[in-house]
Amino acid sequence: MTQKRHYSVIVIGGGHAGCEAALASARLGADTLLVTMNITTIALMPCNPSIGGPGKGHLVREIGALGGEMASCIDETCVQMKWLNTSKGPAVRSRRAQADKYLYRQRMINTLFEQENLDVRQGQVTEIICSDNKIQGIKLETGLTLLCERLIITSGTYLNARIILGRESWDGAPQNQKAAIGLSASLEENGIRMRRLQTATPPRVLKSSVDLSILQELPGDIDAGGFTWEDRLRRYEKQISCFLTFTDERSIAAVKRHMSESPLVLANITNEGPKHCPSIDRKLLKFPDMVRHQIFVEPEGWKSQELYLQGLTTGMPPVAQEDIVSSVVGLENAVILRYGYAIEYDALAPGQFHKTMESRIIKGLYTAGQINGTSGYEEAAGQGLIAGINAILSLRGEAPYWPSRTRSYLGVLVDDLSTWSRNEPYRITPGHAEYRLTLRDDSAERRLIEDGYRIGLVSKERYEKIFDWKKRIEDEIEALDSLSLLPNSEAREIMANTGTGDLKKPASGSELLQRPGMTYKLVTELLHKAKDSCLTASDEIYALETEIKYRGYADRELERIKQTAFLEGIRLPMEINDERMRIINLEALEIMKSERYDDLSQMVRMNHFSKSELAVLLAILNGEELEEEQA
Amino acid sequence: MSKLKIDTIAALSTPAGRAAISMIRVSGPDTFEILKKVFKTGGKRAFPLHYSAYFGSIIEPETGYVADQVIVNTYLSPKSYTGEDLAEISTHGNPVVVSKVLSILFKNGARQAEKGEFTRRAFLNGKMDLLEVEALSQLLYASSSTQARLALNQLDGLPSKFVAKIREELLNQLVQLEASLNFPEDAIESIDENALKVALKKILSELELFADNARNGSLISEGLKVAIVGKPNAGKSSLMNYLLGRDRAIVTDIPGTTRDTLEESLVIGNIPVKLIDTAGMRQAENSIEAIGIERTEKAIDSAFAVIGVFDGSKKAEDEDKAVLQRLKSLDKPVLIIQNKSDLPALLEDEFLSGLKVIKVSALKGEGMSELISALTEYLKTDGIGSLEEMVLLGASQTNALDKALSALKRAEEGIGNIYQDMLAIDLEEAVRELGRVNGETVDVNTLDMIFERFCIGK
Repeated sequence: MTQKRHYSVIVIGGGHAGCEAALASARLGADTLLVTMNITTIALMPCNPSIGGPGKGHLVREIGALGGEMASCIDETCVQMKWLNTSKGPAVRSRRAQADKYLYRQRMINTLFEQENLDVRQGQVTEIICSDNKIQGIKLETGLTLLCERLIITSGTYLNARIILGRESWDGAPQNQKAAIGLSASLEENGIRMRRLQTATPPRVLKSSVDLSILQELPGDIDAGGFTWEDRLRRYEKQISCFLTFTDERSIAAVKRHMSESPLVLANITNEGPKHCPSIDRKLLKFPDMVRHQIFVEPEGWKSQELYLQGLTTGMPPVAQEDIVSSVVGLENAVILRYGYAIEYDALAPGQFHKTMESRIIKGLYTAGQINGTSGYEEAAGQGLIAGINAILSLRGEAPYWPSRTRSYLGVLVDDLSTWSRNEPYRITPGHAEYRLTLRDDSAERRLIEDGYRIGLVSKERYEKIFDWKKRIEDEIEALDSLSLLPNSEAREIMANTGTGDLKKPASGSELLQRPGMTYKLVTELLHKAKDSCLTASDEIYALETEIKYRGYADRELERIKQTAFLEGIRLPMEINDERMRIINLEALEIMKSERYDDLSQMVRMNHFSKSELAVLLAILNGEELEEEQA
Repeated sequence: MSKLKIDTIAALSTPAGRAAISMIRVSGPDTFEILKKVFKTGGKRAFPLHYSAYFGSIIEPETGYVADQVIVNTYLSPKSYTGEDLAEISTHGNPVVVSKVLSILFKNGARQAEKGEFTRRAFLNGKMDLLEVEALSQLLYASSSTQARLALNQLDGLPSKFVAKIREELLNQLVQLEASLNFPEDAIESIDENALKVALKKILSELELFADNARNGSLISEGLKVAIVGKPNAGKSSLMNYLLGRDRAIVTDIPGTTRDTLEESLVIGNIPVKLIDTAGMRQAENSIEAIGIERTEKAIDSAFAVIGVFDGSKKAEDEDKAVLQRLKSLDKPVLIIQNKSDLPALLEDEFLSGLKVIKVSALKGEGMSELISALTEYLKTDGIGSLEEMVLLGASQTNALDKALSALKRAEEGIGNIYQDMLAIDLEEAVRELGRVNGETVDVNTLDMIFERFCIGK
């Protein structure tokens, strides 16, 4: 049997971005190849053993809604599921799973191998082949050439990767793997600009050497449900716990003792690390008075003997790490199995790709994940999915999928990334989302299932099921809007007894529900609607209550969403040689010409336009429509 | 794609400052809809006809308050400077009047035009060619940040610093809140809702005081109140009519004709004045008069200055004595007028002795210039004071200030009942709107502030 040499789509890299990209591509019918340097480490979690959290959890649920794989994979392979922010409101509530790293990988590898249209091969890509700024194929270090129509690069932290441990450093990648040498240079030869970013990971210790009995136990939530719609009510009866300990004066002294060996002090590493995940040495440099830092002790799997020390990230040398670890309560006798390390890698310089993840420089080239300047498995997976979808849409000659930041965290992610110019890896949080009451975790499928179905990653069967669920909630909201309760004595008595106020004039079901303390159940009882066509599933009731109770906030948000969505709809580049465009100020015009932006909303967000300039620009772009309207 | 909605803009088109006449331009599809709400014209002509002038008043619809008497020139699209429906409102040339008229326009749907915006619209609608526009290049090609600043930065000095301070305080609260929402496991102390409520209460009261001041500013911009008091038939209405230059108050020789107070706006010595003609001060003989007298007292209370009118052609009566006593008790500027100097003087000299008295004949106009300059002196020295800053505040930022206030009220009232994520939404809105009050266009990056303040690591 001969090896195939020509694919519609080739994906470089088997991390979380690569897996989603390859699966999306193959599932949408394109013959696809995933090339990875090591099949064994496909879907590896080289850092923390968890998926989700505020913003990230939203992303994972959205990935599931669009037909991506991460959601169901973690639902099946987690050792713990937890609800975060439960007391802080519906907009920021999110799910976080502790993964069994080994099972997750195995499950994902199996999915890839079982996927129709998808080949997986081991090999290191050293070159991209382009002609006329259009992608043609790749070259492997073996000398083999493979041709493709679309190429998706998801190189993670592997490009020209360098591991740093105190004064020592060497070319290398996570888990003692090889760095990917050659590809970066090839990208640069083809006009793409690169930059260096860094990140780091904490040491892993032997479980039996840690005194977990004296640490605070952090169990999961049985009823947190999973990330996929199908698992939303799943109960995780069997879970394992995380544990919490803290640094104290001894730890601070230990870090200080070895501070001169910190890569940050030695300055043998780029300073561009993730702000949201500082190393212990960076924490101390930045917050010198803080003594008590949290250390989460997390399992890496059901049967794993390793524990991950969240909070003790560092690239300091082994002796320093041993000193620091043993200074922490519960870890006094901890045996370090793998030392923490810092890693420096090549990523794209800002402003070189569209929201669709396609390169602005080379046609047919897509990038996703850490190469685009993000950190996190979830961010990588989300981009991989969008890249895979858009590679296929463009192959088919169809309009690209531009997720809107007004409709999804995925939209926020790709929109932010395409304009992200900071020298630090990007992590999604609710703080990046302006419309987070709309982008709630529980509304993910209602926002995105139609997109997923239209794109083709959601089957008809699944779509219909979720559509019915969505309709059930929406119909019931409508019913409560239209049903009225008259202030009869029975109703007033019930309300007085439940402390939900008095009823002086007729009120709709929705108005009743907006009262503090009022629940859907009570409203249906008051409306005598308890018997027929009532919602019974807890998630449906939750969605309905949230929609109605926060309507005032949602309506105000909607006003702003309309403006942003309108501006997002106006894509750049446009007819900028039109003489009439000279009315726009030169600075903004230059920026528009440089094509660093995809649409007007980005330019407005980046403060490149004044309001009046925008009005004029819009008028130019909509000239004909405008005349019609005024006529 | 949704269609573009061009809004309606308004701005002062003549140089700012005191002048004989100021011209405010309004342009856009809603121009006449807005004017129909705020402009009252007496004629029988339809409004608006193309290229027509209308005399009338700019009136605040909610209060019926008359801001100024104006001439409005109307131009129907496309035959106008901008090519849009356009009106030019000629007001009295006074910043205070202009500010008030603008604020009425803004409240009723117009938006403050940005620098050069009328010209741009003209260009857009094919009213100017590029060469003409090039001539305005300095205006048009200013850098965007400067333009944004010019458009928004209407404030300077203390009010602006005050708003900046409040905004900073709110921002600090917001950052604390956002930190715990974004990084729930980072051991960030969750926000103390009771303390936040106290802090918000304090901020709200400060900000409401500020809004009150802004309102006072606009009260001043509505005109300094001057009440005319005196016994019935002393000639108060004649005096008012003279000052207005037309018959507004009903003048008869039957005492007590003016049973209600009448208010009229005019400009005296470049200062807007709201003249209040009161019912005569005397013992009420019927209930209607009693109401009139009660209103007179109210008018005196609210007035900045009071003009006391005495009939020089009659001997002092008990009512005159009562009026004089009331005037002497006032802690505000008082002008004593001895009216009817055209008739034989019968008022005893000693009645008003020791007081600065201006003798006038409201009917004939004698002595009126002396009256006007005396009044102007009072208005200038005591009335106008530190007005300028206040007035600037009143016009286009009121809307943002109101939004900020209501967001803060929602937050303050909501604490304990609403979730913290909603609280954050309200605080964020307040910070955003206060930024607009102050013309601070720089976006706030709360995440950056979180990383500065908190050790985030989970």
